[in-house]
Amino acid sequence: MTDRAATAQACPAHQGRDDRKSGHLADANLRPQPGARVFGSFAAGRDILRSNKMRQGGAASDATDLSNPGDISFFFLDGDLHRKRRAAVAGLFAPKTIVTRHKAVMDRTMDVIVADLRRRGSAPLDELSWHMAVDVAAEIIGLTDSDSNANLAERVRSVLDSSATRKPGWLGNLVFNAKMLIRAGRFYKHDMVPAIAARRVTPKDDVISYMVQENYSKKGMIMECLSYGGAGMMTTREFIVMCAWHLFEKTELRERFLNGPEEDQFAILEEILRLEPVASLLHRRVAEDAEIGQAGAVKSGELLAISIRAANADETITGACPYELDPDRAKRMKVVGPYMSFGDGPHRCPGAQVALHETRVFLDRMFRLPGIRLVSEPKVSWNAFIQGYELRGAVITCDPA
Amino acid sequence: MVQIIFVSHDGTARTLDVAAGASLMETAKAHDVPGIEAVCGGNCYCGTCRVRVSAEWRDRLAPPEEFEVELLNATGESHADDRLSCQIPLTEALDGLVVHTPEQQY
Repeated sequence: MTDRAATAQACPAHQGRDDRKSGHLADANLRPQPGARVFGSFAAGRDILRSNKMRQGGAASDATDLSNPGDISFFFLDGDLHRKRRAAVAGLFAPKTIVTRHKAVMDRTMDVIVADLRRRGSAPLDELSWHMAVDVAAEIIGLTDSDSNANLAERVRSVLDSSATRKPGWLGNLVFNAKMLIRAGRFYKHDMVPAIAARRVTPKDDVISYMVQENYSKKGMIMECLSYGGAGMMTTREFIVMCAWHLFEKTELRERFLNGPEEDQFAILEEILRLEPVASLLHRRVAEDAEIGQAGAVKSGELLAISIRAANADETITGACPYELDPDRAKRMKVVGPYMSFGDGPHRCPGAQVALHETRVFLDRMFRLPGIRLVSEPKVSWNAFIQGYELRGAVITCDPA
Repeated sequence: MVQIIFVSHDGTARTLDVAAGASLMETAKAHDVPGIEAVCGGNCYCGTCRVRVSAEWRDRLAPPEEFEVELLNATGESHADDRLSCQIPLTEALDGLVVHTPEQQY
């Protein structure tokens, strides 16, 4: 019997209700790195992710040359250098900055999205969520001098697709490197060069301004921008569609979302994210033999995988019926709303609050549109590169303007 | 046990007697102390567990690290006695600590 089936049988209140839309696909496709020891307990996962005995792990990390930190993304760094790079731009992602600065970008973008949707009458939902995710990420990073955000998005997507479709072996590496050279070069020329030039004249409060000030190398700048941009754009696109799908389907939940205070809206979104985390696995490499709290003894060089999905359904912190969508759960259990969905520890997702805020803004505006309907449900597919779901094919309609 | 006194924005004081070991933020959340959000769960990434430490306790706390200072500055209302409560581990030495919580974090 699988963990899920056992848990479902044990859920007395709702006969094992499972509200997840990506659960079956994840069960069938989740693939920890070969040799990784998998942890599904929330407490063990948190202890591992917060431990200073850990380093980034997994295929991309193992293939990254750490000898020149100036050329690689913060994502692959650990320790003081990682903290320093994150600290320098931490304020850009703080809730206070979001409501005082980024919220205006979200509102402006939504004005455009809504006007366009009402003119067209219908649109693919992931196209609209991508638009929002790109505009917000571009503002925070400082990619605001491109010919258009649509072209910027396309160039970022083509670079990220290179990684997602990377094949193993020497031939795979050769093809990957060739593609990356061309695509990253295009991104640098059309998006980063004008942004860097503008910030050399007038620095702003964004990631690129910081990198200019700190004299990052060209490669270092590209990698940092792609890390912040790629993560922010790709994952938020999926999260918005997933939340919309749940809310289209569940009338009572949608009414609660539309009529409740922001705090309640966030609770709903966080609970959906708990059930449907966009990324499902986090890997860490053990730096030295150690005893790590609830995870126990670990050996130097060992690869550990934290199952976000399992941790998010750990009944010691979810209470009963872990697969039931219950927006009051986190408050009742005194647990942070998204549970492990944004990771934990020094590498916790920097854009967590940005993603939640832009999703809230997007859905609040969209669901208030006259005649808004989901006419075609999304198809759920699996992205092996990020070990997460993708939702494509959802189409929404609304009354014309 | 450690005694902590939380004073809310309207002057209401609440005294908690708790075991040492957890952070000030975790203690506040566990006891539903108002004004502490801590949306990142104690990772020093959101700046929403800000408290103002009473002046007489300022020098008895370990000074804030760079990351905490960055976040405190980002809240835009930084004060010499402001700290992020997730970065204050409760020890016996902090018995009697008095902190003030804001009406809202942002």
